[in-house]
Amino acid sequence: MSIISVSHLSKHFQVHKKEPGLSGSVRSLFLRKYETVRAINDISFDINEGELVGFIGPNGAGKTTTLKCLSGLLYPTNGNILVLGFNPYERKTEFLKNISLVMGQKNQLWWDLPATDTFLLNKEIYDIPDEKYKIVLEELTKLLEVEDILKMPVKKLSLGQRMKMELMASLIHSPNVLFLDEPTIGLDVLMQKKLREFIREYNIRFKATIILTSHYMQDVEQLCKRVIIINFGRIIFDGLLSSLVEKYSPYKKIRAVLAQYADPKKIDRLGKISRFEYPELILEVPNKKANSTAASILKNFQVEDITIEDPQIEDVIAKVYRENKR
Amino acid sequence: MKKYYLIARNTWDEVLTYRTSFIMWRVRSVIQVLTIYFLWSVVVPPGKTLLGYSQSLITTYILGTLLLESIVLSSRSYIVGNEINSGNLMNFLIRPINYFLYWFSKDIGDKAMNICFSIVELTLIFLILRPPLFLQTDPFYISFFILSVILAVFIYFFINFLLGLIGFWSPEIWAPRFIFITILGFFAGSLFPLDILPKTIYEIIRFLPFTYLLYFPIKIYLGQLSFFEILSGLSISAFWVFAIYFMMKAIWQKGLKSYTAYGK
Repeated sequence: MSIISVSHLSKHFQVHKKEPGLSGSVRSLFLRKYETVRAINDISFDINEGELVGFIGPNGAGKTTTLKCLSGLLYPTNGNILVLGFNPYERKTEFLKNISLVMGQKNQLWWDLPATDTFLLNKEIYDIPDEKYKIVLEELTKLLEVEDILKMPVKKLSLGQRMKMELMASLIHSPNVLFLDEPTIGLDVLMQKKLREFIREYNIRFKATIILTSHYMQDVEQLCKRVIIINFGRIIFDGLLSSLVEKYSPYKKIRAVLAQYADPKKIDRLGKISRFEYPELILEVPNKKANSTAASILKNFQVEDITIEDPQIEDVIAKVYRENKR
Repeated sequence: MKKYYLIARNTWDEVLTYRTSFIMWRVRSVIQVLTIYFLWSVVVPPGKTLLGYSQSLITTYILGTLLLESIVLSSRSYIVGNEINSGNLMNFLIRPINYFLYWFSKDIGDKAMNICFSIVELTLIFLILRPPLFLQTDPFYISFFILSVILAVFIYFFINFLLGLIGFWSPEIWAPRFIFITILGFFAGSLFPLDILPKTIYEIIRFLPFTYLLYFPIKIYLGQLSFFEILSGLSISAFWVFAIYFMMKAIWQKGLKSYTAYGK
């Protein structure tokens, strides 16, 4: 069943432009130049229940704008959105109770008060029964290891600690649909890992539908089977992460450490040499030929060590961005 | 409903976090009261009248407006403009909470605190200085006074919110607010009773919403208005409550459509 369905969604902004300098400022007092920024340009996709989709793109690609449209913050210029059967922009209570938007740089906590005060307020806002509130709070507290800072005023917390509290405040009502906009920003490596585990678990246990944006490819690689890549407000790829790798990087790298010097010309017949500095050799070969090539290297040369490497996801994504420049 | 109660309570907690600032604020308001009281008791000596106001009436008027200011004119809803511009508004749109009621609850928290402390302070001043104040005992005037204050609270809240909504279209929200405060200082009657103005001017400003924020309730309290004047005044202020409310609603809807949620 499709939980989120987006068809031909566009969002345009009017932005006023100013020439640099004083003369530009004076001129813009009388004559304002407006420019239409097409943040999202006719995108369509469907997401099924329980899917965990990675939403990636370079800075300013339109990721956050899309999430804001999906959660009802922005009024679409064109197109239709259905989330859980609701039009997000109407912001019906039933809709809002079932979604959550977590943004890396959002602040819903009461600055001068401990985070628990915000949680208690959210408990009332979302009509959470006492029992359920206790369980969820306990679970989140344990997972994020925050027992000792729950009662500290928010202003005294560090960035990472505050991020955790924001996350807790956004999840206290156990939403079915989660929009995570760079949730791991500002967290240390260990916490990033924990958070990823938490997201995966949340996804499986509650059958929650999750859209995740992140610039950390680790997040995407470890969590998402399906990715949607967006650039210049358009979807340039929508499918399995594995098929993305195949499409944009049909090569694998074979890294070998030679025990004895070999003639590069001989090696050249096996595949494309991307680097050869004796004793290290790196070959690029098509995916399907990777195994047979490795076998023949082992047969024909004296090798100390050999590995077959998948392309780095970062490299693949960077390639996708580059190839889809306007 | 409990959520709005919690918001009001959190506002209390928030104010009480900064103890020194809170105490200084109270000291400031006490000094302000004393200054104005001494000034006017010199201007109008006992037994004399000024423009129809005896000493006890004018001191009651001036001290009354100060008390009312802390009840009626204490609204933080203008911060809405900053929230729009900083993108903080998103935190509210994403949750099933009524944004108007959120700010109104915050204001109620604020006002409740102001009322509590003002009553304590005024009682102390009253006991120490024994100023010649006019005490209204007629329940007729007192109930209309309370009603008019409630209407005034709504008018001011809505106007303030409306000014905050400018944030949807312009990041500059301070200038309009500054103009508003200036206008308010004159037309609300916090500096002097409005009826000492020439009659023609008074007849015009009688129809503005500002008149009903401070001047009108105090005049009812002083028992200086006829039944007919009270009724027509209440109708005008009720009219403004609804007019500004609907204006605010319409502009809010329009603003949301053009909201770009930038900044974040």
